[in-house]
Amino acid sequence: MTHAQEVKEIIQALVKAKKNLRIYPENNPVYARIVDDIHSRITSVLEYTGELSLKIRQHDIFFDGESVYHGDGKEENLALFFFKDGVRELTFNKGLPRNEMEDFLGILAVDFDREALDDDIVTLMWEKDFRFIHYMVDDSILLEDETYEERAVEEAKKASQDNEGILQAYREASSIEAGPVTHVIPITDADLDHMIREIEEDTDDKSIKLIHLLFEMLSQVGDTAEYGELAGFIGSALDFAVRHGNLDAAVYTLERIDEETAGDDCENEVRARLEDLKRFMCSEDFVSGIAEVLDEGTEFDEALLQRFASLLDSDAIPSFIHVLGELRSAQARRAVISILSELGRKDIQSVARGLQDRRWYVVRNIICILRQIGDATAVEHLVRAVRHPDKRVKKEAIRTLGVMGTADVLHVLNECISDEDELVRLTAVRAVGLIGTPLSKKILLDRVADRGFRDKTFNEKREFFEVLSRWRDDDVVALMIRALKRRTIFKRAKNTETRAAAAHGLGMTGSADALEPLMKLKNAKNRLLRDNVQAAIKRITGEREKRS
Amino acid sequence: MRERREVDLRLAGKTIINQLGVVLRTGQIHDIDNVAVMDAVDKFIRLVNPVIEAEGLLKIDVIGEFFYINDSRVRYPLEYMLNFDYLLREFQRRELGTVVFGARLETDEIKTFLRVFMSSAYSGTPYEAMEASLEECTNIRIDRLKKITEDGDMDQKKIVKKTYFNAVSFTESVMNRVKAGEKVNMKVAKRVVESMVDLILSEEQLLVGMTAIKDYDEYTYHHSVNVSVLSIAMGQKIGLSRKALTELGLVALFHDIGKMEIPKEILNKPSAFTEEEWSIIRRHPYLGARVLLKLKGFDRTSIRSAVVAFEHHLHYDYSGYPEVRNPVKLDFYTRIITIADQYDAMTSSRVYARVPLAPDRALRIIMERSGSELDPVLCKFFTNMIGVYPVGSLVLLDTREMGLVYECNPLFADRPRVMIIVDGNGRMTEGIIADLTERDTEGRYLKSIVKTLDPNRYRLNLAKYLL
Repeated sequence: MTHAQEVKEIIQALVKAKKNLRIYPENNPVYARIVDDIHSRITSVLEYTGELSLKIRQHDIFFDGESVYHGDGKEENLALFFFKDGVRELTFNKGLPRNEMEDFLGILAVDFDREALDDDIVTLMWEKDFRFIHYMVDDSILLEDETYEERAVEEAKKASQDNEGILQAYREASSIEAGPVTHVIPITDADLDHMIREIEEDTDDKSIKLIHLLFEMLSQVGDTAEYGELAGFIGSALDFAVRHGNLDAAVYTLERIDEETAGDDCENEVRARLEDLKRFMCSEDFVSGIAEVLDEGTEFDEALLQRFASLLDSDAIPSFIHVLGELRSAQARRAVISILSELGRKDIQSVARGLQDRRWYVVRNIICILRQIGDATAVEHLVRAVRHPDKRVKKEAIRTLGVMGTADVLHVLNECISDEDELVRLTAVRAVGLIGTPLSKKILLDRVADRGFRDKTFNEKREFFEVLSRWRDDDVVALMIRALKRRTIFKRAKNTETRAAAAHGLGMTGSADALEPLMKLKNAKNRLLRDNVQAAIKRITGEREKRS
Repeated sequence: MRERREVDLRLAGKTIINQLGVVLRTGQIHDIDNVAVMDAVDKFIRLVNPVIEAEGLLKIDVIGEFFYINDSRVRYPLEYMLNFDYLLREFQRRELGTVVFGARLETDEIKTFLRVFMSSAYSGTPYEAMEASLEECTNIRIDRLKKITEDGDMDQKKIVKKTYFNAVSFTESVMNRVKAGEKVNMKVAKRVVESMVDLILSEEQLLVGMTAIKDYDEYTYHHSVNVSVLSIAMGQKIGLSRKALTELGLVALFHDIGKMEIPKEILNKPSAFTEEEWSIIRRHPYLGARVLLKLKGFDRTSIRSAVVAFEHHLHYDYSGYPEVRNPVKLDFYTRIITIADQYDAMTSSRVYARVPLAPDRALRIIMERSGSELDPVLCKFFTNMIGVYPVGSLVLLDTREMGLVYECNPLFADRPRVMIIVDGNGRMTEGIIADLTERDTEGRYLKSIVKTLDPNRYRLNLAKYLL
């Protein structure tokens, strides 16, 4: 195969790579294979040619005077892709490392039509600072006025004086007193250290600085129409900052808005524009920017999130509830829940409206938020959420009622103890126990005393006894002992489960009165009963020993 | 393996040059067998031998103001600057241009090199002394420093001129577009600045020299480019990355864009401004920030450009304008650009300040303002970059020749390259370039500056000589 033929194949591989590399992410094996293939093709040519130089024209690429590529159209024309930005020659040199090849192919794959970049191919290659890929560029394409240099030089030289001025200077030179000489102060290690620190501290994101200056500019406007423009700039800077993970900029802006509008000397027009800005910060558009960066994995300090939420208006609540349902990562959801928990303190009703959201997971999160806020006025909304068709929501609502509720909600929870789903029932039992009023105890005791109790699963029965054990009252212990001792002819297996669950409950009470009946059953034939009895004895005696 | 080696060489280059600097500096203070010297030598050998094994040899070249290792230009971080400058100075003093280590190095070989290098400083012909002393040492070969040929100079100068005027032409078109409310192509802006950055990295003195010519009508466009060039040069001196230099250059290019919003009749008024006119002029930082934020969408560069445009007259001590209610530390780029801006403005003839200051006088003012209007540490970097006699200074030499400073020497601030325009007999000459670091066989400088004159007083046209 001739060199030209090999180069033709390389160019074809580049054309294919340009398309295919857009499809696959960089960590995909196909992506790596494409890079490897082109790299090995080019390095094998370079092995005996030393360099591979391509001349670029609008429709052709030439190697060694021979066209190795021709493209007519505008789309998919590799020659034009380089030509339009002024690249006229492209040379690959021997020693080309794979990473440099990959960087080059990365640039080749950029879709300039779709990506709004401020960089062209030359800038992208320049930034990579390639060592083994060189390019020649025709900068004249940048010029609007090609004769500028010629005119400027001519004009500058036109002003030239005759030699008299110079000779006069020479004549006077000896008589003129020498002026002071500026001594260059040597740069010290301390200066270098200082400068290194400056460079390190010089962050990329200057949004806060700009926002600070824009607030300064508000006091320098020449025309009141500029207030709106400046506020708009603050909004854009803020949007940019937040989308780059800089939530401090939002906190700073909110603090400045509060400062500026607090005084009586704030002009009405300024106040109105800053209030607009604050409203923008509550909008779905702005909040979705925060959501995006959270979803991309940016982590914010909890204190910063709290501060941000504390400064925002409650108008932001619907926006945050909206994005809550869009987030993909758990970490992002935690952050938004944290914001809403703080923000919700200002307007519990707005948060509670989130319970109407059609997405069950959003409703569940809202319930969590209401629990974190802990405002009793949310209880009435939670009572409604208990009837949510999704059992995951239902459980969350029941659990929350247990934490936040009072005796008023026990009737609702009692209903839930009859739910068809066992997990919902178990959650309800725990919630009733958490409320912990005498009525709670009565509800649970009544349920245990009910005939149907025997037919429940062992887990559920154990839950009842365990919850009841928090009351170490005599009547509770007596009921459990009765259940432990009860023998039946029918449904013996179910009855044994009840006895085992009661044994578990007695163990949890730590009651000494339970020891005697438990000891009698410590060698029971039924394993479930025996294990629960022995565990209960161990727990009670252990507790007693600890106490003594 | 090949790939790995290339990466390592690139990284190792700066460490090797730095360590050679350490070896020679330590050798200057202590006896060669001192532990400190031996430690430095051992470390140097540990760095160098793997490269020699991989590459077959290690060649250190000095070309212009840069070191090359095996033909690869070595870029160095700021913390190595003192050692790099020291080494460059010592190589240039000895006219030493190349050192080649042909095979694995032994400690004794480096000790010999060190001894020869040190003792050559006392010779009137240091290069020859080194060459003779190293004759026996087959593993170390040296070569004389190559003078950059005038032809090469001319080609480079053409490129420098082209780049400079491209930038001015582009700036003019940007300003006109801004005025007309049209979109500005930032891709082109970046390309223009990247070309300047490339030239600052390779031909700093030539491009900085272009800023000394002030005989143009369009002050604002040239001023914008000059400030950009001087800022990039300063940024390079303090060790900013290429990408950061591009951003700095772009930001500098747009620092005065607010002036486009000032009525031309005020801007071009030949007589003194009234208080009201001054107050309008003083609005250009505010207007500049607004223009830049409207120019395109918000990104890092537009944000930073707006910050700098607003701050560039505020001053380090906040004594400038516009007045601000809550001063915060000026942006790093603002502090760089302010120095470049003040220096270029002082040395330029503007409509409202017809007589510009001589470059050395402007430099003195910069130093006077250090710590008040200007950042003191950055002022140091600026004066080190510009030299005692900035390009365009009119100087009288001890040979009774008169010349224009043509190029500064960053290593010998008081010994620039001078274009002789009047010979010792008072006759005009063709503009021969004299390097003031050149010495006679006894080590005495051939020519030295005795005094400076104000080129503006004699209405000297620098363009005639420097363009």
